[in-house]
Amino acid sequence: MERNEPQNRIVFVDSIPDHLSYTVKEGETLHLNLACFKDFASKQIDINVESNGSIEGAFADFSHGNGTFILNVHLLGEGSKCHWNLASLAHETSEKHFETSVYHEAPHTEAIMTNYGIVRDNSRLYFAGVSEIKKGSVKTKTRQESKIIVFDPLALGRASPILKIGDNDVDASHAAVVGRLNEEHLFYLESRGVSEEEAKRLITLGYLRPIENAFVDEELVSKIEAAIQGGI
Amino acid sequence: MAQLIIKNLKVAVKGQPILKGVNLTVNEGETVALLGPNGHGKSTLLAAIMGNPAYEVTDGSIELDGKDLLKMTPDLRSKAGLFLAMQYPSEIPGLNSADFLKAAMNAHREKPMSLFEFYNSLQNAYKELGIPFEMSKRNLNEGFSGGEKKRNEMLQMRLLQPKIAMLDEIDSGLDVDAMQIVAEAIRKEQARGAGFLIVSHYARLYNMINPTRAVVLVNGRIAVDGGPEIITKIDTKGYEWIKDELGIEIEKEEGAPMNTVSIGACATKVKIENGKK
Repeated sequence: MERNEPQNRIVFVDSIPDHLSYTVKEGETLHLNLACFKDFASKQIDINVESNGSIEGAFADFSHGNGTFILNVHLLGEGSKCHWNLASLAHETSEKHFETSVYHEAPHTEAIMTNYGIVRDNSRLYFAGVSEIKKGSVKTKTRQESKIIVFDPLALGRASPILKIGDNDVDASHAAVVGRLNEEHLFYLESRGVSEEEAKRLITLGYLRPIENAFVDEELVSKIEAAIQGGI
Repeated sequence: MAQLIIKNLKVAVKGQPILKGVNLTVNEGETVALLGPNGHGKSTLLAAIMGNPAYEVTDGSIELDGKDLLKMTPDLRSKAGLFLAMQYPSEIPGLNSADFLKAAMNAHREKPMSLFEFYNSLQNAYKELGIPFEMSKRNLNEGFSGGEKKRNEMLQMRLLQPKIAMLDEIDSGLDVDAMQIVAEAIRKEQARGAGFLIVSHYARLYNMINPTRAVVLVNGRIAVDGGPEIITKIDTKGYEWIKDELGIEIEKEEGAPMNTVSIGACATKVKIENGKK
């Protein structure tokens, strides 16, 4: 499926098609807002970005189920950009894989990929993806950040971002953190009289809430807020 | 009258004994300067009193007004009237300062405050500590300068009004003006009748707040418990006199255990050689 959308914001709530492809034309910006509250299933999204175009992607995921979500962004034109934010809550027995990759195929391109997750109960959450800077893509900036907070003893989180750097004169970095809630943070809040449960709630809220900034529809934002409040 | 009583307190960090039998009493209305060479257990003592789980109490007791603090979680200790201003306050990503302060203040009350009451006391406290009120909208300590973090600790003390406040190097990294503001906040709590246990390396802060007592922690025990003149003595002479006068050999600072990092996982870095994938 090849589509060139005239409008610059595309929103899917729950009914995300199995495969989507977009081309962001020269100088244009595409906002892609995904939100999933019900069933999780395998999806693939391919996006090509031409010169000075940018893709602003956000995915708020609170669904149940198993599958692999694949995002491939090709920064084809000089000066093209990709900003991606994911907030995912995995609970019950869900097993969710997210593979978010970006390919820098021109100079002066920029990508910031941020994946935040929380795993509860018996669920599993995997963040993977490649940030590849192809040869010749000089003055390029790429960052992959993956963080998973593991809430329950049987929950499992893995984050394994990969950087492939094919040229010098680039700015590339990544961070991957998987762990329980930071003990020092919990102690700090508890030492002010906040109960452990409330402290965990406050820290987790702070972790998931920033995704709301990527969405404009107020009704959808409230729905995301309710899912965050209800899920933690 | 509130009274904090510590008896024969032994504390280990990662299995390494730091405190080896501390006996200390702090009464409401007293300001006690806690002195001692680096690495001898000052911060450990404050953290253990507050209930930091990284500090394991292996023996002894801590009571506040007859209540056994060792049986209480840190939040209950806070509600019982303890406060700890930390040397390195945590930066909490995404947690709005005002939301946090509201949660903390409400935890100390039977009924939640009205929004009006909350914002009133918040505005007053920010003004008093010389912090722009806009800072209340920022994430807790995130991106704050060293001095801003310290003032933010004092702000929390003013809002929570503890019976006994423990301050761990509240004056480090403060310029003269900020030091005055912090000292003023302490004096207001003193006037209210609060007790203090204060760790500082500088006589300057102590001079501004007139401690009533000074204790010196050496080798994990209280070696000296006396009047405020000890502060001047240490400020001018250091700690060598303790060895000469009391015959206590001061142990060299051992490699203190590192602070725990929650969990850090490094990821893979793959560099492709030219043309080869």
